[in-house]
Amino acid sequence: MADIVLSNVHKVYGHVVAVTDINLAIKDREFVVLVGPSGCGKSTTLRMIAGLEEISAGTIAIGGRVVNHLQPKDRDIAMVFQNYALYRHMSVRDNLAFGLRNRRVPADEIAAAVSRAARILSIEPLLDRRPHQLSGGQQQRVALGRCIVRNPKVFLFDEPLSNLDAQLRAQMRLELKELRLRVPTTSIFVTHDQTEAMTLGDRIVVMKDGVVQQVGTPLELYRKPANRFVASFIGSPSMNFITLRVSADGEHFALACHGWQFRLPARRFPHLGSHVGRSISVGVRPQHVRLGAPVNDDQIALNGAVTVTEQLGDEQLLAVRLGDGEIRIAGADPDLSLPTGTQIEAAIATDHLHFFDELEQI
Amino acid sequence: MTDIAAAPARSVGFFFALAPRGKAVFFALAATAVCLLFAFPVFWLILTSLRTGTGVYYVHRGTEFTTDNFHEVLSQEIVLRALFNSFMISTLATVLSLGVTATSGYMLSRFKGPIPNAWFSLIYIFRCVPYVAWVLPLYFVTQKLHIFDSYWGLLLPHIAVHICFFSWIMKGFFDGIDPSMEYAAMIDGCSRWGAFWRVAMPAAVPGLTALAILCWLYTWNEFLFALILTAHETPILTVVMAQFVHELGMEWHLMSATAVIALVPALIVTLFGQRYVIRGLRI
Amino acid sequence: MNEKTRFMLALITPAALVLILFQVVPILTGADASFRNWTLHDPKRTWVGFANYLHVLRDAEFRDIVLPNTFGFMIATVACSLVLGLAIALMLNNRFPGRWLVQSFVLLPLMVAPVIAAIMIRWMFNDQFGVVNAALEGLGLAPISWLTQRWTTFAVILLTDVWLWTPWFALILLAGLQSLPPEPFEAARIDAASAWRTFRYITLPMLRPVMVVCIVIRAIDAFRTFDIVWTISGGGPARATELFSIYAYVEAFQFLNLARGSAAAVIGAIVIVVFALLLYRVLNRFVEVSK
Repeated sequence: MADIVLSNVHKVYGHVVAVTDINLAIKDREFVVLVGPSGCGKSTTLRMIAGLEEISAGTIAIGGRVVNHLQPKDRDIAMVFQNYALYRHMSVRDNLAFGLRNRRVPADEIAAAVSRAARILSIEPLLDRRPHQLSGGQQQRVALGRCIVRNPKVFLFDEPLSNLDAQLRAQMRLELKELRLRVPTTSIFVTHDQTEAMTLGDRIVVMKDGVVQQVGTPLELYRKPANRFVASFIGSPSMNFITLRVSADGEHFALACHGWQFRLPARRFPHLGSHVGRSISVGVRPQHVRLGAPVNDDQIALNGAVTVTEQLGDEQLLAVRLGDGEIRIAGADPDLSLPTGTQIEAAIATDHLHFFDELEQI
Repeated sequence: MTDIAAAPARSVGFFFALAPRGKAVFFALAATAVCLLFAFPVFWLILTSLRTGTGVYYVHRGTEFTTDNFHEVLSQEIVLRALFNSFMISTLATVLSLGVTATSGYMLSRFKGPIPNAWFSLIYIFRCVPYVAWVLPLYFVTQKLHIFDSYWGLLLPHIAVHICFFSWIMKGFFDGIDPSMEYAAMIDGCSRWGAFWRVAMPAAVPGLTALAILCWLYTWNEFLFALILTAHETPILTVVMAQFVHELGMEWHLMSATAVIALVPALIVTLFGQRYVIRGLRI
Repeated sequence: MNEKTRFMLALITPAALVLILFQVVPILTGADASFRNWTLHDPKRTWVGFANYLHVLRDAEFRDIVLPNTFGFMIATVACSLVLGLAIALMLNNRFPGRWLVQSFVLLPLMVAPVIAAIMIRWMFNDQFGVVNAALEGLGLAPISWLTQRWTTFAVILLTDVWLWTPWFALILLAGLQSLPPEPFEAARIDAASAWRTFRYITLPMLRPVMVVCIVIRAIDAFRTFDIVWTISGGGPARATELFSIYAYVEAFQFLNLARGSAAAVIGAIVIVVFALLLYRVLNRFVEVSK
């Protein structure tokens, strides 16, 4: 059991900077997800923690011990790879036992550990098969088994679910959560899928272009995204952004763009004051736009013509033309018939508005 | 012959196109012709080996056959020693060549930077240098090192010949193997050497098998190096066979008998190995 | 030096040692020898600069016979083996009864030592006792003394080389054919392409990268062919079928002038290195254009 501390970690390949100045403290038994688009440096960070990549600058400590110059085998970690990386010339049993045999664990202990891990993951009938005889989900379980059998200080996951089909992925997410209860271990999980990040992580680290954008619990990221990137990355469907110009109007601020304008009381949104005369980005999640007219003063109205509808069965997703842009609305009644061109009215509670300048949330 | 017409979708019906009606007939004729063309010299070799010393001059007429040639050849000490030496040299050269080129190909496949680039350029250039540019001085080098006419004196040059080409092919094999298996092994407690030896090498076995078969056959049949780098101490089969018709007069029947004996191991290796060769060469 | 660099160096050390000792050193030794006087009456091995090179380049034998022979042989053998090998590979890529047998027959030449094949062919083309002339007589034709004339000798050598190396082409091209993705062929069938058009516009372009590698490697090897020519004709009749490796060998071991032989070898090495690079460039451009 161990905590992990990354201090001022950098990674440079020649002249290409892959990771810039990461500082991160992961508590013992915490499950942290690194999430971001491909090429954001999340896998590189994980591989530096594993010892598969050299660290250009900074330190990484596992359980209070700086591991910068330790070989992967000496870091007491386990890792699940995107393609599982099962040893294809060994049986499942040997795959599980390989790491223990390397450490010269007595044979009877190995047998006990392997059967325990196999029981936890329900792969006992598969122990004598070869990896190529297993389905994707079974290979995934063997890869997990290879981790837990060793009882390491840290689990590292490098996009382990991305090769599975959607249904199996949802099932494996649940199994991973159950596994956490049985085998609580400090874990770092890398993914590009925000759903996995939200469902699995105690805390989430959002990265972009090698820089950490925000660290927080799933709800913090959802409710208080630090900047426009995090806001657009977390949540599905993605947040709407509209560029509006701010002007002062007595007790209110007026925000306007071509085809839409509304007023907000200055008393409740004092931080907009410094942006009077400038354009800002206003974000609102599709789930927070409700069809129908505003029912109280805290809601603002918008009108537009439906361009596209997507039927999901339990709800409809709408795309509505708003001025020059488009806004997406989720949660519409699936029985509503909304042919293209239908004029609709919708309302947004002002609490659900997010304001961003180029750098961060205002 | 219906399964010819229902050939798999990827098969290319080039021959069928030339003779759309008599497909099967044309195909069978072509196959037979190819077989005859490639088998005839070997067939002739076997026929000659079964003739008496004077009978070889009318191989295509007489009907006398004998196995005396084989008895005579196998009673000659030099032939037995040559058989043994050729077998040892081919096997050792195969094992050692694969050993040193597997590591070098692995290095080229897994690492980037100035050292791999320099090594790659080196072997790429030396691949192009013709044998004659170094076979002659090689004679002096082996004499200087006092390994002329010994196992090492023939083995090491053979390995040197294979290094460039094999490193190149091995790089291809390892490029086709996902390195994450080795990462997993390193996390599972292996050193870099352990990951290479216990995970990457077993995964490369199909390719290694193909290369081993080709390497063994090549060395077994090689003539020029054996001619120049060995003398009486280390007789090599190809040289001994050639001597039957060069230096020791025109002993066609003995040469053929020895050649047929030499063919047997090669035949075994090829017949059992062709599947692996074709599979392993799919880069 | 960090642990990774040490590992990289350790991986190539055995190969590098052998390569340096048994390839780099001999090549440099040979290059050095080619600048000296190595004849028997000059024990000091005087440095003579480019004299040996000039001698070889001025030698009418080398210029007018050896070089054209070498290039002609190389082009002819590569072209013939490629066409035949491709045809056989296409044939073997079909499923038909007895394929295993045909494939084994095709592989026979790979099992025979080239020098033995050459001896056997020489025997078959012997003008008195050879089976080829016996067959000609059987057909009522006049026997030909194959190995006493330049062009017939050349043809026999070429035939032997093609016989030896066609299986090699067939094997590699078959492996190449089998690793082609099936989708383009399925698409071609849906597009109603004829067999010939499928071959011309799908198979051939997709196989071209493998063919380029084959041609370049085989061309380099053909350029340095030694043993079969040496066995069949010894470069004769009257040095008319000498290739450049025979020329270098004869100069060094029969005329006992190692320097001149080395100079010829170095000239050959430079020619083939330049030629191989050009060939690779040209073929690659050809491949790119066809894409």
